[in-house]
Amino acid sequence: MTSTPLCPTAPATPAALPPLGMALLTAALCLPLAPLAQAESQPERGSITLKYLDYKDSQPGWNRIWVHAPSVAVLAPVGENWSVAGSLVSDVLSGASPAYHAEPNPFKIHEHRKAGDFTVTRYLPRGTFALGASYSTESDYVSRGITAQGSFASEDKNTTFSGGLGLTSDQINPNNKVVVNERKNITDLMVGVTQVLSPNDIAQLNLTYVHGTGYYSDPYKLLDNRPRNRNQTAMLLRWNHHLDSTDGTTRLSYRYYTDTYHVKAHTLTAEYVQPLASGWTLTPMLRFHTQGAASFYVEADGSGYPVLPPDYAPGRIVSEDQRLSAFGAFTYGLKVAKQLDKDWSMDVKVEQYQQNGAWRVFGTGSKNIAPFDARMIQLGVSRLF
Amino acid sequence: MSIAAPATLFHTPFEAMASRCEVKLNAPTAAAAQRYADLAIAEVKRIEHAYSRYRPDSVVSRINAAAGGKSAVLCDAETVSLLDYAGSLFAMSDGLFDITSGVLRQAWNFKQAKVPSPSRLKPLLDLVGWARVERDGARIRLPQAGMELDFGGFGKEYAADRAAAVLMDVGVTQGYVNLGGDMRVIGPQPDGSPWAVGIQDPRRAGQVIATIPVSSGALATSGDYERFFEHKGRRYCHILNPHTGYPVAHWQSVSVLAPLSITAGSCTTIAMLKAADGAAFLAQTGLMYLTIDAHGQFGQPPA
Repeated sequence: MTSTPLCPTAPATPAALPPLGMALLTAALCLPLAPLAQAESQPERGSITLKYLDYKDSQPGWNRIWVHAPSVAVLAPVGENWSVAGSLVSDVLSGASPAYHAEPNPFKIHEHRKAGDFTVTRYLPRGTFALGASYSTESDYVSRGITAQGSFASEDKNTTFSGGLGLTSDQINPNNKVVVNERKNITDLMVGVTQVLSPNDIAQLNLTYVHGTGYYSDPYKLLDNRPRNRNQTAMLLRWNHHLDSTDGTTRLSYRYYTDTYHVKAHTLTAEYVQPLASGWTLTPMLRFHTQGAASFYVEADGSGYPVLPPDYAPGRIVSEDQRLSAFGAFTYGLKVAKQLDKDWSMDVKVEQYQQNGAWRVFGTGSKNIAPFDARMIQLGVSRLF
Repeated sequence: MSIAAPATLFHTPFEAMASRCEVKLNAPTAAAAQRYADLAIAEVKRIEHAYSRYRPDSVVSRINAAAGGKSAVLCDAETVSLLDYAGSLFAMSDGLFDITSGVLRQAWNFKQAKVPSPSRLKPLLDLVGWARVERDGARIRLPQAGMELDFGGFGKEYAADRAAAVLMDVGVTQGYVNLGGDMRVIGPQPDGSPWAVGIQDPRRAGQVIATIPVSSGALATSGDYERFFEHKGRRYCHILNPHTGYPVAHWQSVSVLAPLSITAGSCTTIAMLKAADGAAFLAQTGLMYLTIDAHGQFGQPPA
């Protein structure tokens, strides 16, 4: 073997190349050798996913609502640049929701809801455009919606802007005939930006504005009468960080929410995705939510009855809905997923939710409501085709 | 700043583009290394499939199948950029780097070791000519039935650059992509020293005649030893001059060090095709190179 005749420190690019060298390099640099971050692209394979959700909520001494919901979702690429997606869910709900605050409603409900949605997505070199429709029906509630969404990536594909518009029209006919043929119409707008910060970091900011008019009250709650206009604004900030040391990913998010009912809420979520050997992935999750009460929320007294304003008269705006009270809530979750082979995967997700007025931060929580727990178990199996 | 512990580099060999290939890379864990290597390999195979002449659904096959027909074939953005690149190289090589010249291989059977007659070559030479290819934006049309495009002249080098880009994108900073000897270096060895890339001895198979230290960029070599036969004392190799239809004969091998694999590979091919003028061409590029002429003499850039 001859020793190298080249200077051992020969750089790949001399400081300045003569015109021919520059021309050769420039020609090559016109090739797509750098668009490394990928714009959202058409899925290469379709998938079908079956899920089964079992949800149960309770408060001390009372199991409130039980929901069993099987669902199926299909996603399929069509041609070179399109995909279609659809899902169907059928849920059966049984139990009773509170009559007011956390007081048991004597009327048991058994409700069967069927819902479906369908989305068509067009993939462009630097963006996507999607149109969707949804429909849901149960004995007292019919909801119809349409959505349009788009995304557009910068030339280096490190920044993606997205936007969406949705229109929903609901028709409400409570079984107790408190109201007949009520309506609720909702328009929602979303704008967002996603930025790749480094090979290991991606951040997203989404702003959502929802304008709604119509019947917002709960017909099965006594005295419940809410404003017919509700505008909601939310800001969501997300940050995903990949850890080279463990090959895991942290997902942190913060959401601020406010609406014209004067509910203000903060939600912090932390998830950690850890891939393990043999196709296993573990994802523990912790979420904390805290909110202030709606301005027309009426507190409960020590025996569980609403404390109505002294000048209360029928028709006045009031609500005793626990969801509009001031509280803090924790959600703990764990998802275990396993890739079985190149086509099949399955997962199990368990979440436990605990809500308590005493846990509110940035103010005092609503008093005299029983703590509220919910537990959710979801099984999923998915196949690529 | 702490002193980094010597990181382990992970090595993954694979087969693609009818060559022995490998990636070597740094990664936090073996699982991550496998994931990164899979991404790089998938990118190489994607390009192999997209530009294969042997797959009827590839864009190259669609263009070739439409040769002589009425309608032009609409290409995707990546193919358009590769066609633009081929056009640039055609201009810079005085028409010697011609991606329509693959059709000449029909006359050269390296297994039978038979030199074709001029009458066998003539009709094939009539099918060669990038200058006659009609292009209109993203549409391309080969004007004559039998004309063919062949991206083999730079497909492997392009794949090496793309695979390296994929790896750099996921954070790989050390290692290289080697596609059958086309070497694209991502970063130096863990101790900071360059990779010693061996150059094949053109007359002794499996022997290394020189090693080139490479910390970044790409090293490519073209030689008359890759596929050839000898007939009446003369060597006929696989690199065919698109003007004469005959193999080039001036250099045993040409190696070029360039920032990109596709640039290095294109320069070695053009230098082989330019024969005696190849040295002047290489000198004009300003890139580092090593030539071995028909007598086994080394050549490198003038001091």
